[in-house]
Amino acid sequence: MIELKNITKVYEVNKNNKVIALQDINLKIKEGELVVLKGASGSGKSTILSLIASLSKPSSGEVIVDEKRISKLPDNFASVYRRDNIGFIFQKYNLIPSLSVKENIILPLVPLNPIAQDVKAKLDVVTKRFNISHKVDVIVRNLSGGEQQRVAIARANVNDPKIIIADEPTANLDEKLSLHFIEILKELKALNKTIVVATHDPLFFELDFVDRYVEIHNGKILV
Amino acid sequence: MKNKINTYLIEYAINSILRQKVKSFFTVFVFTFLTFLLTSVFFITNSLRYELDATLESLPQIIVQKIKAGRHYDIDESVVDTLLEIDGVEDALSRVWGYYYFVNAGVNFSVVGLDEYENQYKNSFDKIVKKVELEKDSGSFMVVGSGVKKVMNDSYYKEYFNFVKPDGTLKKVTFAGVFDADTELESNDVIVLSKDTAKEIFDMDETKATDIVVKIQNPKEIAMIASKIKLLYPDTRVVTTDDLKVSYQNIFDYKGGIFLALFVVVLFTFFIIIYDKSSGLSSEEKKEIGILKAIGWRVDDVLQEKFYESFIISFFSYMVGVGIALGYVYILNAPLLQNIFTGYSQLKTSFTLPFVFDIQTLFLVFFLSVPTYIGATIIPSWRVATLEADEVIR
Repeated sequence: MIELKNITKVYEVNKNNKVIALQDINLKIKEGELVVLKGASGSGKSTILSLIASLSKPSSGEVIVDEKRISKLPDNFASVYRRDNIGFIFQKYNLIPSLSVKENIILPLVPLNPIAQDVKAKLDVVTKRFNISHKVDVIVRNLSGGEQQRVAIARANVNDPKIIIADEPTANLDEKLSLHFIEILKELKALNKTIVVATHDPLFFELDFVDRYVEIHNGKILV
Repeated sequence: MKNKINTYLIEYAINSILRQKVKSFFTVFVFTFLTFLLTSVFFITNSLRYELDATLESLPQIIVQKIKAGRHYDIDESVVDTLLEIDGVEDALSRVWGYYYFVNAGVNFSVVGLDEYENQYKNSFDKIVKKVELEKDSGSFMVVGSGVKKVMNDSYYKEYFNFVKPDGTLKKVTFAGVFDADTELESNDVIVLSKDTAKEIFDMDETKATDIVVKIQNPKEIAMIASKIKLLYPDTRVVTTDDLKVSYQNIFDYKGGIFLALFVVVLFTFFIIIYDKSSGLSSEEKKEIGILKAIGWRVDDVLQEKFYESFIISFFSYMVGVGIALGYVYILNAPLLQNIFTGYSQLKTSFTLPFVFDIQTLFLVFFLSVPTYIGATIIPSWRVATLEADEVIR
């Protein structure tokens, strides 16, 4: 389902300073698979997630999702690809703090101009599934870290995407909330979502429902 | 079925405005004030131009003045008869006028002596003149502008006024009426009385007049008849309507210069705001666009939302600004600003600005402000929205 072929990503800090984030990466992820990318900070895990979500483009190589070369997509098509296929859970949640829970969750639906009943139905499903339905009218900045993460997960799932991407999802959570997130991940796996998680949190390393661990070091996959 | 207009985007735009209360309020306040100022200035100049055009239409077609040693002298009334013999001249009338300095208040009044009133003043003046004629038996009388009346009232001249003649004796003249407020731009400092009374006040010879006004049957012949008069009387200055128009226009253009300065200041301020806005977005605004892109908004969606946001702010401010300007100019009569444009008389005018609805003015202000602001909002957003979402969020 997801295939990274000979991917290299170079960030140009300035003319004389280039950082090679990924070098010759090859990776295949099957539909419904849960893959955990392990590695230290700066190893290139987040860059792989960005490339899969088409948030950035590789310097060379190809990203293929469902047989489509998404690394070649023009910007507007990449947005549509993300909207239809990707649910991204960011490390710092990336919510809009001055909006309510409900307004944040329905943001991916806004450009589609859906009818009100559809919005309500989708909102009900995700807020109940991720246990945030009692807070839909609360302004996000007034929520705890764990609640904000549940809002971010609900937003990532409101379009019912096939692929869920989570970048260091427990980095800002205590152990209890981290374990709760792992439970959510298990539920998503049960829904046959393809999940890619980038983390260096040891809590993830002994999970029985994880299909595969991929270790990244200095922009390369360790075999 | 989908709605054609994306109400969610509009709702998001409104929320976005309300979320940034202080910034939005400041923008609306400044935008409204500048629109108000610009529109008010346009409204006032439109009204004044209308008033001046009306005044120019009522001016004499030809004025004949005697010139001696390069200065204006009294002219013989007998010239009137000669002028009436020129082909094409419909009417000729001698006028007596001058300035009377009222020491108590330190102001000059424009004194005009008239026997016949047609062809010389606006129709509105005729009404009051007829009323005055009925009162002629009571002796010397005058009709004054409201500015004159106020100054005389302040000096306790309620029923009459004592003019001090050149020989030091007094001439008592009673008030017969005050000009309508809507003629005040021209009549504010004017005193109209009979020609004989005016001559007495100025100590003029009975056979003399200040100048002679000539009415021509065919306006196309004005220039030709003016040159005939000049040939007949080489010691005169013959002033035509066109010459007067130039003179009036010069005064208006001088006022127009002040307007231009105001206009430039307003535009300058507006474009500083626009420059500031277009020069970049705050890191929060950038991040928000990055988030929207990351969750699947296209560049068009972001720009559409920014369009709604800037349109709501700018159109609302424009409407409020124009509304306030309408009230300020046509209901409150433009306090402060009006003085800049009409302050050329020693007596303060307080005439009512005539309502002149000029759709072009509203369009001009609209196109100067609303699209400019929308452009200044959309361009920096477009710059950010076309970057890689990953780069913006990081």
